[in-house]
Amino acid sequence: MFCRGLRKHSKAAIIVFVFTGIAAQAAAASKSVIPDDVISILEERCINCHDAEDGKGGINLNHLEIDWNAKDAAKVWEKAYNAVAYHQMPPLNRKQLASDEKKALLGFLHEQLKQHTPIGGTLPRRLNQLEYQNSIQTVFQMKDFELPIGFPRDTREHGFDTVSEALVLSPPLLEAYHEVARQVADELFPPVKEKPPVTTWTAGIDDLVLSFSAATLHGDALRLASRSLDIMRSCTWPSKIEITASGKYRISVSTSAFRPKRGQVMKLEVRARDVAASDRSRANVFRLLKEIEVTSETPETVTFEAELYEGQTPLFRWVNAELDHEPEAFSALLEKHFKDQRFLAAWQEMLFPGNPRKRISVTPLRGRNGWDIFQRHYKNPDLNLTDATPDNRYTKAAINMAKNDGTARELGDTLTYYYHEKGPALQLHSVKVEGPFKLVDGPRDLQRRKYREWNFGIRKEGESDEAYADRGLRMYLPRLFRRPVDDKVRHSYLEIAKQHWAAGHSFDEGMHLLLRSTLVSPRFLYREINSGELDQFDLASRVAYFLTRDAPTSTIVIHARQGKLADPKVYRDTLESLLPRSPGSPMIRDFTEQWLDTRILPEIMPDEKFEFSPEEISVAKAEVEHFFFTLLHENRPLRDFIDPDFLTTSKRFAMEHYGYHIKGEKRINPNATYITEHRKIERLPIERGGIRGGLLGQSAILMATANGVDTQPVLRGVWVLENILGTPLPPVPSNVPALTPDTQGAKTPRDLLTAHTKSPDCRGCHQQIDPIGFVLENFDPVGGWRDEWPRINVAIDASGVLPDGTAIKSYPDLKRWIVENIDVFAQCLSEKLMIYATGRIPSYAEKQEIKQIVAKIQHDQGGFKDLMLALMESKTFRTR
Amino acid sequence: MDTTFSRRKFLRSASALIALPALEAFGGTPASPAASSAAGAAVANGPKNFVSIGSYLGWHQPAFFPKTAGRDYVMPDSLKPIEAHRDSFTVFSGLDHRAPNGHNAWSNFLCGNTPRSYSLDQQIADQISGKSRFASIELATGMGEGAKSMSFTRQGVGLPPIMRPSVLYRQLFTSKASRERTEYLIKSGQSSLDSVLDDAKHLQANLPKRDREKLDEFFDSFRSVEQKLERQLTALDQPAPEPSYKLPSYDPITPNLQMEAGSIMYDLMALALETGSTRVISLFLDGLGQVFAIDGEVLKAGYHALSHHGNDPEMIRDLIAIERAHMECFSGFLHQLSERKNPEGKSLLDDTVILLGTGMGDASRHSNANLPTLVAGGGFKHGKHIAIDAKAKDAPLLGDLYITLKQRLGVEADSFSNASRNLNHLFS
Repeated sequence: MFCRGLRKHSKAAIIVFVFTGIAAQAAAASKSVIPDDVISILEERCINCHDAEDGKGGINLNHLEIDWNAKDAAKVWEKAYNAVAYHQMPPLNRKQLASDEKKALLGFLHEQLKQHTPIGGTLPRRLNQLEYQNSIQTVFQMKDFELPIGFPRDTREHGFDTVSEALVLSPPLLEAYHEVARQVADELFPPVKEKPPVTTWTAGIDDLVLSFSAATLHGDALRLASRSLDIMRSCTWPSKIEITASGKYRISVSTSAFRPKRGQVMKLEVRARDVAASDRSRANVFRLLKEIEVTSETPETVTFEAELYEGQTPLFRWVNAELDHEPEAFSALLEKHFKDQRFLAAWQEMLFPGNPRKRISVTPLRGRNGWDIFQRHYKNPDLNLTDATPDNRYTKAAINMAKNDGTARELGDTLTYYYHEKGPALQLHSVKVEGPFKLVDGPRDLQRRKYREWNFGIRKEGESDEAYADRGLRMYLPRLFRRPVDDKVRHSYLEIAKQHWAAGHSFDEGMHLLLRSTLVSPRFLYREINSGELDQFDLASRVAYFLTRDAPTSTIVIHARQGKLADPKVYRDTLESLLPRSPGSPMIRDFTEQWLDTRILPEIMPDEKFEFSPEEISVAKAEVEHFFFTLLHENRPLRDFIDPDFLTTSKRFAMEHYGYHIKGEKRINPNATYITEHRKIERLPIERGGIRGGLLGQSAILMATANGVDTQPVLRGVWVLENILGTPLPPVPSNVPALTPDTQGAKTPRDLLTAHTKSPDCRGCHQQIDPIGFVLENFDPVGGWRDEWPRINVAIDASGVLPDGTAIKSYPDLKRWIVENIDVFAQCLSEKLMIYATGRIPSYAEKQEIKQIVAKIQHDQGGFKDLMLALMESKTFRTR
Repeated sequence: MDTTFSRRKFLRSASALIALPALEAFGGTPASPAASSAAGAAVANGPKNFVSIGSYLGWHQPAFFPKTAGRDYVMPDSLKPIEAHRDSFTVFSGLDHRAPNGHNAWSNFLCGNTPRSYSLDQQIADQISGKSRFASIELATGMGEGAKSMSFTRQGVGLPPIMRPSVLYRQLFTSKASRERTEYLIKSGQSSLDSVLDDAKHLQANLPKRDREKLDEFFDSFRSVEQKLERQLTALDQPAPEPSYKLPSYDPITPNLQMEAGSIMYDLMALALETGSTRVISLFLDGLGQVFAIDGEVLKAGYHALSHHGNDPEMIRDLIAIERAHMECFSGFLHQLSERKNPEGKSLLDDTVILLGTGMGDASRHSNANLPTLVAGGGFKHGKHIAIDAKAKDAPLLGDLYITLKQRLGVEADSFSNASRNLNHLFS
C-alpha cells in the first residue's frame, strides 16, 4: 500500500514536469534520484506517517527523487537526517532501523546534503538596534547618543537578533529612523536661536526649595546649616527660575549671618544647578559661579554677573559650615556637642529611650521629628544624667551610629535643627536673576559645533556653500555608508541641499535636510547588500559588527580600501586586533546574553527564600562574561568551557554560593550588602571535575534556565541540548499539557515526568532531554546546591542514562561525558557564533565546513581564540 | 508659602472658562473620540477613557480605608477632599497582586504580579486608542528618583513620563512656531524623498530576486510613512485647539511644587480627554525629600521621611496632610470631569474609568500588600467601600478588579497577570 501511494504520487509529479516545460527542465539539473535501497527503507520505516496525506510534522518523504529547487527541500531532508541520527525517529513503539539500514540512509543523505546545500544565503542585513545605535555614535562621534525610548525592538530568531530574515524594516521602524535622523541633524545644524528679551525673576524665601532638612524658614530668612556635598541635605535653589537661553545674567543675593561666631566669615557658594538634575546630585558636579563672604548680621545684597546656561538655576551652599553629614566629620562634631552633659543625655534618650533602654528605628528620628524629641528631653528637668559619661556604652553606641554612613546622614538631618535654631546659620532673604544681556554658547552649543566640525570639517576662507558641503560629504558619506561612494551617488545627495538652497533656505537648513536624507538611505540602514563572496568592504563590516558590534573604523577600513584583507596574513592580524579586549566589551556581553539567555536575568526576581539580591544577579552575570573573555583571551582549550580549573567570580560570591573556601578569609554575613569589593571578579583556582567551574555550574545559567521559583528538568534538559550540545529537537507537540509541580502529594518531579512521558511518541525526545534535566536538579533556581527536592523533602535522584548508553549518577558525570565528547560542544558553540556573525543558519554544507575546522583545532590542540579566528577565515563566514 | 491654594483656584477658574468652546470646537472633528475601537460594539455606551493615578509613597492605609464596609461609611481623613463625589467612586481594601515587596517592585501597581511588565494602561491603550492623536500620555509630578516609569509596553519598556506641564501643553496644543517647524520638517523631508528613493532603486536594481524582495520592505515602509506624513500635514492644517489656558511662566518641576504641578496636570488631562487627544493617561505622583508647606505651615519633614513615620502620630499627621493635598487636586479633576458633558449630556466622568492607587501598601514597612485602591467614574454604580478579606480562601486579587475595568472599557479580557476572574458583581 505504501508502495502504491509512492508510485502514484510520483507519476503525477512527472506529468506536471512535462507540462511545465522549460522551467522544469532547468530545475531538473538539481534533482537527485533516490537509490532503490534508500527508497525501500523510507517506504518501510517513514512513509506511513510522512507522506503527502498525513505529512506528520509537515514532513513529506514520499518522493522518488529529491528536487533541490523545491521550497524547503534542504530543510526537510536535513530534518529527516537529524531525526534518524539522533534516535528521535522512528518512534520507539515502531520497528527501528537496522544498523545497515541506518548507515545506508544517513550515508546517502549526508552526501546529497553536502552537495546540494549552498554556502552563503544571508539576505541584505538591516542593522539591528545595537548596531544602529553604535554606528551613529561612532560615525558622528556622539558618544552619548541613545535611541529614543520606545524605539522598535528586533526579533530574535534561532536565539539571536542578528538574523537577516527576521530583521524586517517595518513602517514604525522607518518612522523611528526619521525621528533619529532629525535629532542628529538638529545636533549638527541646529535651528537658529533668537535672543529673548531681558527678564527679571525674583525669588523670595517662599520660592526657594526646602529639601529634607537642608533649610528652614524663620521670619524673612531662610537658614542653611550644613556643608554636605549632597545638595538635598545642604542646599537651596529657586523653584521657579529656570533659564531658557544660555547667556550672561546678573544675579543678586541678599544674605546675612545668623549668630556668627566672633570674627566668623561665612562663605556662600553659588553654583549653576541643572534644574532637571537629580536631587541626589553632589554639589561639585555643578559649575561654580561665585563665592560670597557673609559677615554682616543685617541683610546685605551682593550682585555679580555670571553665565547661566539653558535649563539652569543658581544653587546656594554654605561651604564652611560646621556641620557635615559625612560620617567622620559628623561623629567628630557630635563628640564636641557631647561635652555638654545635658546634650549627651538628651541625645541618648532620643536614640535609646525607656528604662531599660532599647534601641529604636532611626528613620523616624530624622529631621525635625528627632529634634523635637531631643528638645523635649533636653528641657526636661528630670532628665536622667547617669548614662551621660564619655565611656558609657550608650555614648559609644551613639558615636558609632554617627560613624555609620547611613545613620550619620539621617541624624545629621536632625542636628541641622540645632544650628537652624541656635546658630550659627547662614541666611538668605531673596534672590534675583536678570538677563540675558548677551547670548553665549552654552556647553551644548559648543558640543554641537564640535560634532559639526568633526563630521564636515571647518569651512575654508572664501569657500562656497557648495564646495564646503561637497568637501564634507567626501569625508562623511564613506564613513556612513561603510564603503567608497562614487561621484554620482555623492552628487545626488548634494543635489538635495542645492535644491533646498535654491528654494531660498539657508545653508544650515540645506545641510540639515541633506543629513536627514542620508540617514534613511538603505546604504546606511543595510549592510552586505551584494550576494556571493563578500567584497572587501562588506567583509570589513561583517568582521567589525561581529567583533565590536560597531561600524568598521580605522585600520580595517584602510586595509579594505587597499584590498589587503584578501591577504591571509593581513586579514588574520586585523581579526586579532579587533578581538574583544575586556569582559564588558559589547560583543562578549551581547553574544553571551543571547547564547546563554542571561539577558533575561534582570527580569527574574528570585523567590524571597533564596535571598538573592540584584547585586548578586549582577555578579552572576559578570561571572559568565569574565569566563568567556578569559577563555578567548588566553586561548584556552574548548574543554575549559565545561571543566576548567578556575572560577571567575567574586570571592564573596564563591564562598556564599559555591561553597568555596579560602584560607584565612571569613565568610561575610549573607545579609550584608554586596559592596564594590564584594563584586570584584577574580580568578579563583579549583580542582577540575567538581561541581563548580564550567558553564553548567554557573549561577547565571542555572538561573536563566529556571524561573526564580522552581526548576523544571525538561526546560533545563532542552536548554542544554540546544545550547551546549547542539542537538536539534523537533518542535514541542501542541497537545501536551504543561507539568505542574505536585504541591499536595508526595510525588517527586521524576514520578510526575515518568507519568507524563509514558507515551512512546514522547519518549524519543525525552530519553535525551530528561537525563540531562535530572542531573541538574541538584541546582536550585539560583544555582545553589541542594540534596533534596523542596517541599516534599525527598532526596534528589539525579541518575540517568544518556542516549549513547552512558550511565550518569550526578552532575560531574555529565561534565566528564561532555569533555569526552568535546567536539560536540565545540560544533554547537561554533554554529552559534556563526549564526550570530553571518546572520543566517548554517546550511548542511556549511556545518560540514565548521566540523572540519573544529576537528583541525582539536587535532592541533588549539584553543578558543584559534577557533574564533579560523571560523572567520572560513568560506562560510566570507560568503554573504 | 501658601501659593498652592490660590494658584489652584486660579487654574480651576481658568480652565472652566475654556471648557465649553473647546468642547464645541472638537465635538465633530475626526480626531474626536468617536467610538472607533473594535470593542465599541460590546459596550456601545460604555466609557471611552482610562486614567490611572499612582502614588510612589503609597497612601497611608488607616487614613484611606474607611472603618466600615458598605455604603454609609465615614469618610476617612485622606479622602475628605473628595467627599462631595462620594457617589462617584468606590474604595477597595484588601486587594493586591501578591507581588514582591520594596520600592523596586513598585511598578506592580499597573503591572501586576510581575513588576515592569506590560502594564494595565498600555494593555488598554493598545486596544482602544484607535485613531486618537496620542495612543497614551504618561505624566509625573514631583521629580523624585528620576524618570521612573509607571507604564510599560508589551515588551516591558518603561515609558518615560512627562514632568513639565509646558511640554505636555506644547504637545496637546502645538504652538504656532512648533507647528511651523513640524510642517517645514515634513515638507522639506518630502522634497528629498525622491532622491533617496531613486538611489535606493538604483541600489536594488542589480540584486537577485530574494534580495530585491528583502529591500521591498524598505520601499513599502517608505510609502506607508509618506502616507502618514501626508495625514499629519492635513491634521496640521486643521485648526489646533487654542485654549485660553494660561500656564505659569516656569515649570513647577521642583519637587516641593508637586501640588501645583498636580493641579495643572489635572487641568491639562481634562482638556486632553475632552478634546479627544488621547484616551489613556497615566499620572505618577513621585516622592522624595521635598518639604511641603501646606495651608501656610511648613511640614515637619520631607515627604519620604514622613512616609517612614514609624507610627509617630505627628509624622503621620503631616503625611496625611500631604495625601489630603493630593486629594484636593484630584477632587478638582473629578469636579471638572463631572461638569463637562458631551452633546448627549453624558459627563466626561461617566465616560472615563479612573483608577487611583499605588504599588506600595505601606511605605513605612516597604510592604506591597493590601494596596489602597479607588475606582472613580466610568458609569459604575459607586458609593461603597468594598472590604476584601485577603486571608479568605480564593480571595480575589487586585488583578480581578483590573479585569473588570478592562471589560468595562470594551477590552475583551479574562485574565490580568496572576488574576483570571473579575469583580463585575461588586459593582452591581
